[in-house]
Amino acid sequence: MMKLSSSKLIKCSALALLVGISSAYANDFPTKPITVVVPYGAGGTTDISARKLSSLAEAELGQPIVVENRPGASGTNAMRSVANARADGYTLIATTSSPLFVTPAVRPVGYDSVKDFTPILNYSGPYHGVLVPADSPYKTFDGLIKAAKSGTSISYGTAGAMGGPHLSFELIARQTGAKLKHVPFNGAGSATAAVLGKHVDVALVPAYRDLVLDSKLRLLGVLDDSRDPDFESVPTLKEAGYDVEFPSVVGVMAPAGTDPEIVEQLEMTFTKVAKSDEFKAFMTKLNQPVRVMTGEKLGGIIQSNLETYRNVAKELSQK
Amino acid sequence: MLLDAFNALMDIWVLVAAVSGIVTGIIIGAIPGLGPTMAIALLIPVTFTMSPIPAITLLLGVYQGAIFGGSISAILLNVPGTPSSAATAIDGYAMARKGEGGRALRVALYASVAGNIFSCLVLIVLAEPLASFALNFGPAEMAALMLFALLVIVLFGGGVRLDAALMVLLGVFASIIGLDPIEGTPRFTFNSFAMENGLQLIPVLVGLFAMSEVFLKLFQKQSSIKEPVDLPKIVPSKVRFVDMWRMRATLLWSSLIGTFVGILPGIGSTVPAFMSYGLARARSKQAHKFGQGADEGVAAPEAANNAVTGGALIPTLALGIPGDAVTAVILGAFMLQGLAPGPFLFRDYGVEVYAIFEALILSSIPTIIFGLLLFKVAVHVIRIQPRHLFPTITVLALLGAFSVNNSLVDVWVMLGAGFVGFLLRRADFPLPPLLIGLILGTPLEQSVRQAMLTSNGSLDIFWNSGIALALLGLTAISILISLCIPLLRKQRQQKGSSNV
Repeated sequence: MMKLSSSKLIKCSALALLVGISSAYANDFPTKPITVVVPYGAGGTTDISARKLSSLAEAELGQPIVVENRPGASGTNAMRSVANARADGYTLIATTSSPLFVTPAVRPVGYDSVKDFTPILNYSGPYHGVLVPADSPYKTFDGLIKAAKSGTSISYGTAGAMGGPHLSFELIARQTGAKLKHVPFNGAGSATAAVLGKHVDVALVPAYRDLVLDSKLRLLGVLDDSRDPDFESVPTLKEAGYDVEFPSVVGVMAPAGTDPEIVEQLEMTFTKVAKSDEFKAFMTKLNQPVRVMTGEKLGGIIQSNLETYRNVAKELSQK
Repeated sequence: MLLDAFNALMDIWVLVAAVSGIVTGIIIGAIPGLGPTMAIALLIPVTFTMSPIPAITLLLGVYQGAIFGGSISAILLNVPGTPSSAATAIDGYAMARKGEGGRALRVALYASVAGNIFSCLVLIVLAEPLASFALNFGPAEMAALMLFALLVIVLFGGGVRLDAALMVLLGVFASIIGLDPIEGTPRFTFNSFAMENGLQLIPVLVGLFAMSEVFLKLFQKQSSIKEPVDLPKIVPSKVRFVDMWRMRATLLWSSLIGTFVGILPGIGSTVPAFMSYGLARARSKQAHKFGQGADEGVAAPEAANNAVTGGALIPTLALGIPGDAVTAVILGAFMLQGLAPGPFLFRDYGVEVYAIFEALILSSIPTIIFGLLLFKVAVHVIRIQPRHLFPTITVLALLGAFSVNNSLVDVWVMLGAGFVGFLLRRADFPLPPLLIGLILGTPLEQSVRQAMLTSNGSLDIFWNSGIALALLGLTAISILISLCIPLLRKQRQQKGSSNV
């Protein structure tokens, strides 16, 4: 009963806020349902978290938000369609690092992540780790690279060819002259299974927490630009002394040219619900971090990484 | 623990969840194009507010129901609702054409239930050791297994072997389209972004099997479409327990194959269904009856594709590593219920997990009841006049192809596959090997190349692995057997004729 009344209370206060918001804006956006496109299939973590965020934002905006899955081609299909959608704030995309700054750096995708989109906010981003089997001789990331430099050939598995983790390690191999051999798998799950079965020496994958806690795998480093709060003692690759990072983002974007007032309103609403306790609790269950960032900051990350990865891809193609 | 779990099931909501899950699953599975992945993904938000046991029971009921539901349309219409029921269509539809559709459906139902129960028991008893064992399957072992699977289908799938081999190769060739799995470079995409994903399985399946049927009817010489066509009479059909018991070895082998292949990532349920069909045919003394409507031809693939469900849950739950799209979605559902799959699942949530497994086994009872009720209505589908039936199939095929990725390109792929399927069927080529080639082409290529990458290009990786060696040995033995059997048969025939 307690639970029921408190949720009613939240709803009431949400309603009150809603009245406040709608009077604060000259335009009466939104007047019709908003579509949030998800570039992956229904039921994945990006999809589930986007659905939750949308259902929370729905209550704030007073209009339904329809989540539409448009999977395929590593998320680039959905990006292309939203880039060409009308910039009125009614078509948004909840998207991730790969179609934002990895795939566009590698091959033509038919959109420009910087010029064709206005970032609204970042709300999540699973940490990718450098993982070895628990009985592996490598105890630190430095040790691993030193071994690879002194002639031992190290194979590493990733979720697929030309993904962020692959390009990051390729960069390290170039910087240090280490012998790192890439073995792409079909998804992060298969790559994790391969390192558990010792078919590869290292795997660069997300969703490793329980396997590390169960001491089946050892976490040597984090590819992200900050440490994984679940493993505070494990350094990022930058901290370990290698100039490489793969910042994982999950954010909402609108087509470029959307009215700044609408963008501001959306940013405020989504930021508010992304910071809510309900969303945090939900994401914790999903084993996904909540990483709220302003649209401006997200835009910066996209721009700088797009450049970095373009250079990596260019070097790779010249080998 | 098992008893505590059983007590946790004594809740009316668990029953409601199990029944509604199964009914939804069967219906969605029966519609071509809509599969368990989509059904589960759509139902996940419904389960947000439910407590863990009914929520997961509902979703897993959909999973099992959908795999079985696919065979209803496969048997009655020769249109597989899901890829894995394409094997069931071979003998199931042959039976339906003789008016024995009811019998085929019942055999399929009982075999499905047998496969389900078997794989659930394996899941309860051996989840953790099997999950660890499956990790031994690296790229080299997977490559050997897939090679074996391809050969079983060519050698024992029935029909002319050269035709089957050609079709497998055509399927493998079709799988080359899209991004290279190792380098990520586009192949045969002609700069079309839409083709980077390659040919999607569901549109190709729906086209090859459903749309080609429509094209066949369209180009058939017929005086007038308006005239009613003679349709098979529905033969009253009973399947007694003895009939199923006679097939116990087939059911057991098929369930074993299904469960085992299910544990391995990335192969899915279509390949084990055809492998089981091939094996049942090879073992049978009446191999000539396969393809003409043999009970075992329906039972073998159905037991196998349903057994995959339990097998696929093993690595998903015990390691938190899903093998395919369906189990990835189920993994998400478990997490949302606070039951995070992985090494701690059985330790921390034993009661809930075992309760869910027991619910899966017990839901065989409602599955049988609702299955039998549904059949009473469904068998009349074969009495529908073609002029009503085929437009319906066309609409379903178009919708099904579109719904996979919400993409119009898939609809064109479906229509193209339908035309190719029509040509091949007119020329009497078997379609299943084409489907298997398409399914296994990319993973086989990827596994071989992964193996070569990890071994620095040395083939030793195949000889140094016991599992890979055993599988390659099996492959060699299968080839020898298939070469010897006709020779032996010929000798026997000659002996027989000389005696006369």
